Amino acid sequence: MSELVEKISLCVERGKVNKSSPYPKDLSGQDGADELTKQVLDLGIGPDIILNACNIGMQRIGERFGRNEVFVPELLMAAKAMNAVMAHLKPFFKSGAVKAKGKLILGTVAGDLHDIGKNLVSMVIEGNGWEVIDLGVDVKTEKFIEKIKEHPESIIGLSALLTTTMANMSKTVHEIKSQFPKMKIIVGGAPLSQKAAEQMGADGYAPDPQGAVAFLNQLAS
Amino acid sequence: MMNHSLKQIEVQKELFEVVINFSDLAIESKEVELTLGYMENKIPKHFSMLIDEIISELPKRCSIKTGYRILQLKKPPGKNDGLFIGDTFFKMDKIVTGQIKKLEKAALFVCTIGSGMENWSKQLLIDGDAAMAYLVDSIASLTVESVTNLLHDFIENEMMKNGLKITNRYSPGYCNWSVSEQHLLFSLLPQNFCGITLTDSALMLPIKSVSGVIGIGPKVKKKEYLCDTCGVKDCTYRATRRNTKSKKHI
Repeated sequence: MSELVEKISLCVERGKVNKSSPYPKDLSGQDGADELTKQVLDLGIGPDIILNACNIGMQRIGERFGRNEVFVPELLMAAKAMNAVMAHLKPFFKSGAVKAKGKLILGTVAGDLHDIGKNLVSMVIEGNGWEVIDLGVDVKTEKFIEKIKEHPESIIGLSALLTTTMANMSKTVHEIKSQFPKMKIIVGGAPLSQKAAEQMGADGYAPDPQGAVAFLNQLAS
Repeated sequence: MMNHSLKQIEVQKELFEVVINFSDLAIESKEVELTLGYMENKIPKHFSMLIDEIISELPKRCSIKTGYRILQLKKPPGKNDGLFIGDTFFKMDKIVTGQIKKLEKAALFVCTIGSGMENWSKQLLIDGDAAMAYLVDSIASLTVESVTNLLHDFIENEMMKNGLKITNRYSPGYCNWSVSEQHLLFSLLPQNFCGITLTDSALMLPIKSVSGVIGIGPKVKKKEYLCDTCGVKDCTYRATRRNTKSKKHI
């Protein structure tokens, strides 16, 4: 049984979505994350164990990404495999059998349309048991504020890729903090740094999806 | 190397549309792979096949439009934080003004490959194929950059006919030039020029569009982008330039 759970981790790490998926080549024809999750659930293994297996797989691919051994396409395939697992686990979240760790309102700030990093973070964070409300790209401050009012218990995640939209990010952080002083905000994106995040008043900075997960999990603990 | 076969149409005085067809471009899978971060032959076969498939789709999904306008350039006396292009003041970092301040003219340009590729990418994302969506998006970005390279070369060729030279190109959103100044740049072009519009937050639509300014003068020369001296150390454009070959020509 633990072998099956370990295989789920491997399928997530390698991006093996299901049996019919031709990727990766060396796992062709084998059961993927989709089939294995169903088998494991049918055996009575709890969804939290499966979620943990997902996290291990994403952790491993995240580390390889950090070492430049794999790149965004491999990471996205891993996220797709993870989504295949999550599709089976969603009913458990809905019923409350598995509780979401919390909510993250996520968006790319106004004037910026880059979303690959944000989408990756969204997928990885969901796979780590968080509910993600993704507002998309070019999100004005007012929209973030509106969503916060609907979900006041959330954490906020802001993304930007252009150096010049960091100014919009800073304004958004400032506006959120002025209306909701206790709201926690994490920022990310290529032009950012820990120092830039601190200067704009954010509570956290993540250079990659794993960093975002670590920040959120620390808040939830 | 200049492309001598492109044609331009003078729409108004000093305002031109340049006709670039897909057949004028050379999008190579190896360049795509390098842009994505894969060194020679390191990309998984699965992704290289997807890249080939996407490149084969480019001709029918791209609608290329480009154009430029020549305007006077003037440095305001005693100020180092920007330039007048026409009668409009642009606030620019010295990374940009340092390159173009001594010139007398500028070419304001725009390019687009239309919305076909972006729509395809969006649909793939909706359908749950994020990896393919990312590859389509990346190749679309590379394609519009290639179109911009051709336009840049064409403008250089045109200016050479009058004994003039050109600088690198600079775009709002990069080199610390605020993206909000897209509104100023577009105010100097006819509305909907080359089919490109701006959102309130200064994003161009279609998304795969490029705009910017090129300096023109008798003694200027194109230099390497001054990434090493720029204060923005984590700029993704710096990383992209490190990973790609120099621009392609026909």
